[in-house]
Amino acid sequence: MKAETMSTASRAWRGGRADWKLHLLSSFSSAVAFVCLASALLVVFNLDSVRERWARSGRATIFLREGTSEEAVTDLRRALEQTPGIQAVRYISQADARHEVIADKTESALAALPVEAFPASIEIEVASTTSDAEIASITEKIGKLAPVESIETYQRYTDKLKSLLHAGVAASLVLALVVLAAVVSVVASTVRLALQRRKIEIEVLHLVGATEQYVRRPFVVEGCVQGAAGAAAAVILLGVLYLVVREHVADVLRVLIGVPPTFLPWYAVGGLVALGAILGATASHFSLKRLVTV
Amino acid sequence: MAPGRPSPFRPALRAGQRFDASASNRPILVFDNVYKSYRADKPVLRGTCLTIERGEFVFITGPSGAGKSTMLRLLYRAETVDDGRILFLGRDIARLTADSVPMLRRNVGIVFQDFKLVPNWSVYDNVAVTLEVLGIQERIIHTRVGEALERVGLAGRGQDRACVLSGGEQQRVAIARAIVGEPALILADEPTGNLDPLLATDILGLFEDIHETGTTVIFATHDRTLLDVRPRRVVVLDEGKAVDVPNGLNVEQDYDQVETSDELPTGAHYEEALPTPTERLAVA
Repeated sequence: MKAETMSTASRAWRGGRADWKLHLLSSFSSAVAFVCLASALLVVFNLDSVRERWARSGRATIFLREGTSEEAVTDLRRALEQTPGIQAVRYISQADARHEVIADKTESALAALPVEAFPASIEIEVASTTSDAEIASITEKIGKLAPVESIETYQRYTDKLKSLLHAGVAASLVLALVVLAAVVSVVASTVRLALQRRKIEIEVLHLVGATEQYVRRPFVVEGCVQGAAGAAAAVILLGVLYLVVREHVADVLRVLIGVPPTFLPWYAVGGLVALGAILGATASHFSLKRLVTV
Repeated sequence: MAPGRPSPFRPALRAGQRFDASASNRPILVFDNVYKSYRADKPVLRGTCLTIERGEFVFITGPSGAGKSTMLRLLYRAETVDDGRILFLGRDIARLTADSVPMLRRNVGIVFQDFKLVPNWSVYDNVAVTLEVLGIQERIIHTRVGEALERVGLAGRGQDRACVLSGGEQQRVAIARAIVGEPALILADEPTGNLDPLLATDILGLFEDIHETGTTVIFATHDRTLLDVRPRRVVVLDEGKAVDVPNGLNVEQDYDQVETSDELPTGAHYEEALPTPTERLAVA
């Protein structure tokens, strides 16, 4: 077994060394295809993190009944501050609410409204680690308290934004799948063309009595290495480009979309390299079957 | 192995666990009523019968398209017969399973008109590949490849790339690759077709030398001048049948007078006319 592995490795090495330009070119072609796929995945992952960020508002407004005593408000604030998952609590009195709404004094109709027209409220900020179910449970409990008139969780707005971003993620995923199909085609064609050039080698091996497995093994190893090298080169190239671009746009993006840009996670990088290896090996395997004429 | 399934190809020639003493008395190759066609309306071989004894040197000749290459391709199972049998060392080649075909080819050395060398491999690698597939140790491969290259007059050229060699040299490498595994049978499919007449005679001489060691050689050629170099058994393929020409010399005359006959399909007629190389070797 060890001798077979050594023989396969040395034959694959000999094949690679004898036609290193061809292998380099094949890897480069695969790398170009994988750059497109990795870029598409980069869009998917970043869009998904934006979706995650905007999927929940992270805050809620508790409107208080008219005539709620200051004592009741204080008790409610204290209770909220001690509730796990709630990060910050801010009381907005009727006067503060009116002041916030008519701050610019451009709307004369609003400015004419009396202070009683503006309900007092308590704004709460929920920790990012708190799940949607936990928030729903908290708001349900708060809603049953006597001084609470109603609760606004802004769920409708976040739901709309969430579905929009979800559609964006889905669209970019479809795009990534299309690119993946193109990558499969490019890698398969590249490997097949490379093998076509080495048809004589395959023919000779068959003529001297090599078994199918003996012929196939080093070519599959070469295809595997080629595919993996192409994918790895693509990730490295994209990583360098990402670092260069991030320097200039990271702050702007953080302000615009609320999250900093991120590179592909380690599992996606590993997956891409593994995909390259599997594609290269599979393409070699099937191309060899077609090439055998003797 | 499943009952009824043909067993892997194991020639009953070499000593070992499955040595069969009676195998040494059998012909090395028998074409028994072989039919082969690529197009239904144009059969290439039509009931070809031919027997070749161990240690013979046989020219297969005939016009282009007569089926010389087809005969050889059937022998190393690049093609399969439509009907009939081809017995090599007592085993029917047509009935070999796909897994057994490599074992058959390890017992046959093949030389082609277009050399079939891997151009970017070294001369050494091109020859060594025959032994590498057998899993032989590198040290032994090194020795045997050196010997084979010496036999074909290319000693010291092992590190040259095949693509830089001349046509004659490339054919020598191909011959070294065919003989390095010491096969029972050498098949040469128009090996001189790409060479000038002088080189062609030179290459034929190499095959003669190989034959002198006891190896059976089947040499397919349409070059009639080669047939007259030495008295050898000549089989003419005509109308899809194999016909022995009684005398290896002056083939051109005999060849022109050949009439296809069902009564002359085997080597028996030839053996009456000339002692077989096997017999001559036995006398020697």
